[in-house]
Amino acid sequence: MNRTMMALRGLYGVWLREITRATRDRAQLIGGISRPLIWLLILGVGLNPYFRGEVYGEVRFVIPFTYLQFLFPAVIVLNIMYTSIQFAVSVIWDREFGFLREVLVSPMPRWLILFGKVLGGATVATLHGALVLILARFADVTLSLEQVALALALMFTLAFGLTSFGVILAARVRSFEGFGVFSNTVILPLYFTSSSIFPLDPALTRAQQAVTYPEWLVFLVQINPITYAVDALRGVLINFNQFTPGWGIGIIVAMAVGFFLIAIIDFARQ
Amino acid sequence: MLSGGMISPQPGAGPVSPAIAISVDALSARYGVNTVLDNVSLEIARGSSFALLGPNGAGKTTLLNILSTLRKPDGGSARVAGADVVRQQGEARRSLGVVFQDSSLDDRLTAWENLEFHGLVYGMPSRQRKERSAAVLALVELEDWRDEIVRSFSGGMRRRLEIARALLHEPKILFLDEPTAGLDAQTRVRIWRYLDELRRDRDLTVLTTTHYIEEVEGADTICIIDHGKIIAQGSPEALKTQHGHRWLHVIPRDAAALSAIAARRPDAQPLGAHGLALPADDGAEVDAFLAAFRDQLTEVQFQDPTLESVFLSLTGRQLRDRADDTHNAEKAAGRRGGRR
Repeated sequence: MNRTMMALRGLYGVWLREITRATRDRAQLIGGISRPLIWLLILGVGLNPYFRGEVYGEVRFVIPFTYLQFLFPAVIVLNIMYTSIQFAVSVIWDREFGFLREVLVSPMPRWLILFGKVLGGATVATLHGALVLILARFADVTLSLEQVALALALMFTLAFGLTSFGVILAARVRSFEGFGVFSNTVILPLYFTSSSIFPLDPALTRAQQAVTYPEWLVFLVQINPITYAVDALRGVLINFNQFTPGWGIGIIVAMAVGFFLIAIIDFARQ
Repeated sequence: MLSGGMISPQPGAGPVSPAIAISVDALSARYGVNTVLDNVSLEIARGSSFALLGPNGAGKTTLLNILSTLRKPDGGSARVAGADVVRQQGEARRSLGVVFQDSSLDDRLTAWENLEFHGLVYGMPSRQRKERSAAVLALVELEDWRDEIVRSFSGGMRRRLEIARALLHEPKILFLDEPTAGLDAQTRVRIWRYLDELRRDRDLTVLTTTHYIEEVEGADTICIIDHGKIIAQGSPEALKTQHGHRWLHVIPRDAAALSAIAARRPDAQPLGAHGLALPADDGAEVDAFLAAFRDQLTEVQFQDPTLESVFLSLTGRQLRDRADDTHNAEKAAGRRGGRR
C-alpha cells in the first residue's frame, strides 16, 4: 500500500513536470495553435471546392463529405504527431543537461520514470490535438459528447504510442540540431502518405485504383500505420471509414504497446 | 563508535556492521582499455565525514557513480547503508542524497517546483514535502527565490539549491561531488556547519570528492586517490604526520650568507628572491643548522606539514589547479558534439 502510494506520487511528479514545462514552452504552444489554423483555414478552405472524386472530368467515386470535414480528423493527427515526436527533444534535453541523473538516482524504477514521462508527453499532445476539436463547428463537423470522449481516448492512445516513438528516436539521436531536421523528414512524409489530404477509395478494384493513383503511392499509404490512425479518427468524428473500422483502433493500440516496450528497453540502457 | 573511516585489514570480510555506512570491496571499473578504478577497497563509518581527494580523472566520480547506482562496476562489490548497489538498487537509492558535479536542476522550473518534484519522486507525502522544502530553502537562504525560475539563478545559487534538494528526503548518506566550487566562503561555512549538525544528530554520513585541499581539512578521514588507486588514507593529522614534511623557511642576512648556507645544505630550495626552504623533519639537524648560522639569518620560520605537501610527496605532483577549466571545456565540447 505504502509502496504503491510512493510510486503513484513519483509518477504524478514526473507527469506534472512535463505538463509544467509544456505550459512554459511558448514556441510549442504557438505551433500547436497555428498549425491547425493553417491547414484548415488555408489548405482546407482553398481545396474545398475541388473535392469531388472527379478524375479527368469523369466522376470516379463520390465521398459524401466536404474537404474540410475530410481533412479535419487528419489535422488532429498531424497536431498530435508534431507534439509527440517533438517530445524527444525533452528526453534529449534531460540527458544532455544532467537532469536525467536526478531521476536515475531516485528510488523510482526506470520503467515507471519513463511511463510518467510518456504519459506527460501524451497528455500535452492530446491537448494539442484537442485544440483542433474546437474548430469542429468551423469545419462543419457536429459532434456529440460521446464522439468527443471516444475521439479523445483514441487521440490519447495514439499520442502515447507516438511519444514512445519519440523516446526511441531520442535514444538514437545525439544532438538537438540533428533532431530538428530529422523530425521533419519523418513527420511530413508519414502525414502525406496517410490518406490524410486525399482519399483512397477502397471500393475500387486494384486496377481502377492504379489508374487513379500510381501503385507505389497506394502501397505507401497502405503500409503507413498513420493511415489507419487517421481512418479510425474519421470513423469516430465523421463516421467515414476507408478501411475495416476495427483495424485503426487495433493499430493505434499496437503502436502504443509496441513502441512503449521498445522505449523501455532503450531507456533502461542509459 | 569509530571516530572516522579506517583502513580495514580485510574489507568486505564478515557481516557488514551497522556502524559502517559504506563499504567498498575490491571495486574496479574500466572505460574501454583504461582502468579507472583499480581494486579499490574502503570502509566509511556511519556519521563520519569522508573525503576523496585526488586530481580530476583520478576515478573519484566513477566511484561515486557506482555507489549511487548510476554505473555498474566491472569487478568487486559495494554496499551503501547495507544495500548492495547492484542487487538492491532500490534500497540503496532510498538512503542516498546526491549532489552532482554538474547541475542537475530543471532550469525551466522554479526553485520550489524543483524541490516539489524531488519530494514526489522520493514518495514523500504532501505535508512533509512542504515542511521539508521550506526548511531546506531556509538553510541555503533561498526563501526569497522560491518562485523564481532556476534559469535566472547564478552558479552559486544553483549549487545551494542542489544541496538543499539532496537533503530534502533526509538521506542517511550524502554524496557531494566537488560540492562547494562556486560558493562564497560564508555559505560554504554555513552549509558545512549544518552538515556537521546532521552528522551529530542524525548520524548522516557525508562523502565528498574534491580536488580542493581547503575543502577536506575538516573531514574525519581523507582518502587520497590517484590513477584509480587509493594511495593513502587517514585523518588529516595522521596523513600529515606520516607523509608530510616540516620545512624551515629562512631569510639569510645577505648574499654571502645565502651562498654559505646553500653550500652547507645542498637540499635547500630557493624560496622567493632572498629566502631558502630546508627540510626540517630531523630535529637534531635543524638544531645544528640553527646553531651554526644563527647570526646570519634575519628571519626563521617553521612550516608545519600541509595536506598539499602530503599530496605532493605521495603523488610527486601538485593537485591540478586548472583541472576545472579543462573539465568545463570538455563538457562544452561534449554538449556540442553530443557525446555522453
